[in-house]
Amino acid sequence: MGRIISATLTRALLALLIVVALGPILWTVLGAFKELRDIVTPVPKLIFDPTLDNFATILRNPTIRDGLLHSAVVVSVSVLIGAVLGIPAAHTLARHARRYGDDVQFFVLSLRFMPPVAIAIPFIVIYLDLGIYDTLFGLILVYLVTTISTVIWLAVPAFDRVPRDIEEAAAMEGCSPLEVFWRFSLPVAAPSLFGAIVFTFVLVWNELLLALTLAAQNATLPVVAASITSLGKEVPWGVINAATVVLVVPPLVFIGLLMGLLNTSVQGGRK
Amino acid sequence: MANITCSSIVKSYGDYPVIDGLNLDIPDHEFVVFLGPSGCGKSTMLRMIAGLETVTGGRIEIGGTDVTDLPPGDRGVAMVFQSYALYPHMSVADNITFGLRRQGLPKAEIAPRLTQVADMLGLAPFLDRRPKNLSGGQQQRVAMARAMIKTPKVFLFDEPLSNLDAKLREKLRTEIRKMHLQLKTTTIFVTHDQLEAMTIADRIVLMRDGAIEQMGTPDEIFERPASHFVADFIGTPAMNFIDATIEPGHVARSGSIALSLSRDLFPGLRPGQKVELGLRPASMDLVEPGAPNAIAGRVVLVENMGAEGQVITEVDGREISFVTAQFRRVKPGDAVRFALRPDQIHAFDPVSGRSLLGA
Amino acid sequence: MTRNTFVRLTLVPAIALLATLALVSIGGAIWFALSNRTLRSPDYDFVGAYNFLRLLRDSRFFNALEISALWEVITVSGTLGLAVLLSVLIYETVQKPLWRNLICFAFLVPVLLPRVAAAFIWRFMYSPSLGVINYLCGLLGIGPVEFLADPSLALMSVAVVDIWQWGLFFTVIVLKLMETLPRDPIEAAMLDNARRWEIHAYVTLPMLKGPLISLALVKAVESLRSFDLIFVMTGGGPGKATETLDLYAYQMGINMGGRISYASAMSLLLLLVTTIAFTIIWKAGKKWAA
Repeated sequence: MGRIISATLTRALLALLIVVALGPILWTVLGAFKELRDIVTPVPKLIFDPTLDNFATILRNPTIRDGLLHSAVVVSVSVLIGAVLGIPAAHTLARHARRYGDDVQFFVLSLRFMPPVAIAIPFIVIYLDLGIYDTLFGLILVYLVTTISTVIWLAVPAFDRVPRDIEEAAAMEGCSPLEVFWRFSLPVAAPSLFGAIVFTFVLVWNELLLALTLAAQNATLPVVAASITSLGKEVPWGVINAATVVLVVPPLVFIGLLMGLLNTSVQGGRK
Repeated sequence: MANITCSSIVKSYGDYPVIDGLNLDIPDHEFVVFLGPSGCGKSTMLRMIAGLETVTGGRIEIGGTDVTDLPPGDRGVAMVFQSYALYPHMSVADNITFGLRRQGLPKAEIAPRLTQVADMLGLAPFLDRRPKNLSGGQQQRVAMARAMIKTPKVFLFDEPLSNLDAKLREKLRTEIRKMHLQLKTTTIFVTHDQLEAMTIADRIVLMRDGAIEQMGTPDEIFERPASHFVADFIGTPAMNFIDATIEPGHVARSGSIALSLSRDLFPGLRPGQKVELGLRPASMDLVEPGAPNAIAGRVVLVENMGAEGQVITEVDGREISFVTAQFRRVKPGDAVRFALRPDQIHAFDPVSGRSLLGA
Repeated sequence: MTRNTFVRLTLVPAIALLATLALVSIGGAIWFALSNRTLRSPDYDFVGAYNFLRLLRDSRFFNALEISALWEVITVSGTLGLAVLLSVLIYETVQKPLWRNLICFAFLVPVLLPRVAAAFIWRFMYSPSLGVINYLCGLLGIGPVEFLADPSLALMSVAVVDIWQWGLFFTVIVLKLMETLPRDPIEAAMLDNARRWEIHAYVTLPMLKGPLISLALVKAVESLRSFDLIFVMTGGGPGKATETLDLYAYQMGINMGGRISYASAMSLLLLLVTTIAFTIIWKAGKKWAA
């Protein structure tokens, strides 16, 4: 009897935990389809007439549309360059650079220690002086610090997990270091590398502070979303919810990939 | 023509030399096994011949060509790795033919060679599979096929069987040996398993601490071990070692044990000299009272090995074991006598560990 | 292509770009910190250590320092505590792989949310008039509670969101780590009649000491980047109750008159303190975990 009660209790607790994890997001999704009068009620409403007005408002709003476009450009370009420069560097760090490799890796990691504000403040002046303040190019440039360092940070262990024997077997067949990298290490490590790129994408997509300080008219979606609160007198909760949903969707698409990355890195790390 | 010559090879990591001035000649067509405990430098030697490790000092020649500074792909060698090192993103056929395709050989030439090696190793049904869908033994065969198809001047095997279970290991060992009889390609095979080395090798290079301890045919190594280390490393059950003193009449005595030694084998022994005797369990057997060169002991334990049994006895407070087919007659507590011929006794210098043969 | 060309070709562009950007930002910060530059006018003079000396007399700076330290302690310990607790709970109670995976997926969602989005979601839920949480509080007869407007609650309320995002994420990681542990020591402890909680306290968690330390470090680094969350949820308020160093530096350098030099001095100090602290923790943690 006691066992049944405790089993039920743990089930209930786990259910509650899932509600805590997902509830806030689902509630926001619901809110995105509500009219304001369905939101501003003393008792929260679960049943209401859904409306697409909030999304229509967002997509009609040029600032938000531009924000979306800017985000897409800045994030894809900075992640692409980060991957193109970072992945070969990570392979070299994992395989060829024995003596100074650790120091370089520590330098790359230490960039992640840097508080973003310590980058943002000097860069705002430098950008103003160079005339690249409030440009997408400027944003991409600072984001490269994040993307390159994150890609290297996550890709070095991915290449470490490629069996060294495979690369040596390829070298025995006459492959140059470039061929070994391109035809063997890269395809074998590809799943983990893909996860690393997705993680980097999420980081940059979510970034607020640098975009907020280094851009004004050409800001990214998080900046635009953060400024909606001051759109009018009344807080447009429905619109905010809809904007939140738009902001949330791209990272969530990759949740399965992130799970895979987690599984391989946890298992690889504990051999 | 693919003999291998290594002269004054030095390999150091930092200031620490792991191999210091090693010389080695391997004649054409020979099957040589590098044998030794882990960390003795045997894999490092193999990898330097393969070109996977740089050589700190010295020269490596393959077939008369200096390959010391050549990249691995230009040395005409093929290697089979312990982990098989198959390319996980390629099919078995692509794995095997990668090297040939890379060299730009025409398809029409590759196909018959693939069929030939695949048939020889029984891989024909698996050519379209990915390596991860094969058993360990099949993966090992793919690795061998990949090495064979290139018809290299030298085959290198780096502990290729140690990831397999005992039965399969024996089977593949035989196959590798057969393959060598057929192809006659110079082969270096690294292992830490002395039984594997004894069964497969034309010649064994026994290494210790980065140096060659002894080099010779399996028979030479087994019957005339050059040192205590070699004698201890080769043969199961392991050799018994007894500290003894030479007495007049070419007899070595240690407590109640008195064994006469062969004057032909050990002409230089002098009375009073300290020696370490080596007695192989397999050379000894039960004897009747009064037999020469007998040792009297009390049985501690009998280990059944099927056709034979190892009897562990206590003699003067130390354990000495021997192997006999009549082990079922004895039980713990029995007093037994066992003996061996004088020419089967090994003697070593107790300080240097070198064999006293001919000395 | 030889090995050395390959090494140079792959390593140099990435590292050179990173080094340049890092040096430019640090060099720039030092340069600006020694002058009296503002965003309003391009003229400036060198003022030496003036900005640093003024920082030492700035009570708002010390307030921000205190809030930052508090924030680090609360979020790091909260995240790890929650993660360890929940992962042990799930490890013990959920055996079916399907359910475990579903829970893991659910727990991964919050951390993927952009900070800005998470901040909005929770601000909406915390709202005294129309938030779900206050509705639930009302059902229990409490409230309405001003979660974000009450200075004594605001920091905790924001920290809850951070722990919601990262604690659940780390739960998944710790759970995966526990699954990879060898079974033998756990089974040995079971044969010794250890209770379930004793097995975790004395066997599994000590075996995970190294990874847990790294997780704490990762979280400590990540907690420094909570500007987004606080900025959207409270903007540093009410008063200065949630004003961390990066928020104060942002307010000083960009919002209020653009006192770039003063903000640079502040961010330099922040950089110095965190780099030294993390380098020490990193090296010590490596030694301790080994």
